[in-house]
Amino acid sequence: MKRRQLLSLLGMSPALLTSTQAKDKKHGYDQSAPSVVPAEPKYVALSPKGTPPPVNRFPMAARTIARLDGKTVYLVDTGFFGADLLLQQVAGWFERNMPSVKVVSRKKAGTYPEEDPKLWAEIKANASATIMAVGH
Amino acid sequence: MEKMGVPAVAIITEAYRDLAKSTAAQRGMPTLRIAYTVHPVWGKTTDQLRALVDGSDPVSERPFMKEIVDALTVPLTPEDQKSGLQAVSMGPETFGPDTTDNLHAYFMNNQMTDYLPIIIPTEAKVEAMLKGTSHKPDEVVGRAGGYKFTVKQVAVNAVMAGCDPSYFPVILAIASTGALALGGSTTSFGYAMVINGPIRDKLNMNYTIGALGPFAQPNATIGRAWSLMGKNLGAGSIPGQTYWGGQGNNLNYNNVVIAEDEKSSPWTSFHVQKGFKPEESVVSVFNGWDMRMGHGAKGAGATDLKFDQQISSMFPTLTRMFNCLVVIDPLTAKLLLDQGYDTKEKLQDWLWKNSAISAKEYRESFLAHVWLYPRALKGEEPYATWWKAPDDQQIPCWPKADDIAIVVTGGQTNAFFQVGNMNYGRSASIDKWM
Repeated sequence: MKRRQLLSLLGMSPALLTSTQAKDKKHGYDQSAPSVVPAEPKYVALSPKGTPPPVNRFPMAARTIARLDGKTVYLVDTGFFGADLLLQQVAGWFERNMPSVKVVSRKKAGTYPEEDPKLWAEIKANASATIMAVGH
Repeated sequence: MEKMGVPAVAIITEAYRDLAKSTAAQRGMPTLRIAYTVHPVWGKTTDQLRALVDGSDPVSERPFMKEIVDALTVPLTPEDQKSGLQAVSMGPETFGPDTTDNLHAYFMNNQMTDYLPIIIPTEAKVEAMLKGTSHKPDEVVGRAGGYKFTVKQVAVNAVMAGCDPSYFPVILAIASTGALALGGSTTSFGYAMVINGPIRDKLNMNYTIGALGPFAQPNATIGRAWSLMGKNLGAGSIPGQTYWGGQGNNLNYNNVVIAEDEKSSPWTSFHVQKGFKPEESVVSVFNGWDMRMGHGAKGAGATDLKFDQQISSMFPTLTRMFNCLVVIDPLTAKLLLDQGYDTKEKLQDWLWKNSAISAKEYRESFLAHVWLYPRALKGEEPYATWWKAPDDQQIPCWPKADDIAIVVTGGQTNAFFQVGNMNYGRSASIDKWM
């Protein structure tokens, strides 16, 4: 049903339509205008990312021993909270379950990001394997 | 160990699974063998730790010690033996074209923002920012954690933060230090910078009322740009992967930005203490944890202010993991001058000598085991000597008096000061980046 017919049935003057439209125009919205929304502008944004270094892959050390029995295993505490106490329990496990393993416990010198060349040299010379605990 | 030819296995708590994997991959051994245990291990009793060792790896659900023994003995796979250089992509260089709203959502959803609205770094805006320096867009400004970043890449972050192009030399100088805010530590680092020289007035930086608050565009946006650079120019700050601060740090929104009030300060400017000339513009960067207000802690009567004691009384509450930054309002500085501190060095020296704790307290401090003892074990002085000191021997908070950095800023509406766990890193010329 058209709006003018509806208003007539309700006993209202179709002139009301005109006044309503005029009021809307006053507020900047013209109901008679086609409802076309202007396209929102689009932009290209630049990446804020830095350039990552290439990854230099290294092969892991060959596993040449099938069993740890009779071998020397270093337990290295890297200095984080609780690592030393956890490694004490690891040492205890070897004592109970693989007593022929020679366990050597060491604490890495220097703060946790630092290397400990002296200890690394000792491990390279003596160890068959190393267990490092970083804790937390 | 693996590079030395010694089979190794790392024990990691399960909370750091993603971090361990991504770190191993970045360092060239993506299949590094790891055994996991529950998190955390510290604070557990001997019986609880034994149960962990006798129990299962929470990730693989296999017996923990079997994981360890297998990691050291099971032959390598072809993947374990790979070597050679592999390029890593930084992702697309541009995004869009798209609407501002969609681009904003994209930046946010890809963790490139601080979750506050950004200025979208369009080519035009970045070009405008680049006019703030004479340096070429592709010049490498700095490096951090193996990443490198160019003038243009820094400019993109400066645009996002809302910086005016005139601020750009300051941003480049910060980037040139290689110190990116938002570094990774479980302890949630915070960062501070001190800006000295004529650039402060040229940019209308605030060093009066509300100097450390949100009351000036350069102070606000230069600090914010530093955090955005931390998010984007290096390895990133993805929680659980490249950021693991337990509680986070609200200083990370725009850091502590201090323009020193050189006119009102009775002392030598910070950059001059670091060997620069007064007429040079310089930024100095710090990393640490926090800043805290100090006022009235001790002797703060109307006639007996004792600001030296007030400042030093806060030192024992600071950690020894970092050095110290003291930010003093010019009003407080003048009162200290009246007390006889006519140089910063004289005040640094008094504070250093009067901030001691007993060797027993020193060794029992929370970080002693992970930070102080390992340095003593390495033979680093004075930590090695301090670690062996008798229980009642007094030990200064830091090794040297100039580990206490002093800077003056503020509006002189009250005699305040702030003290923080902040480590001076380095200073960089801003003039070089004009």
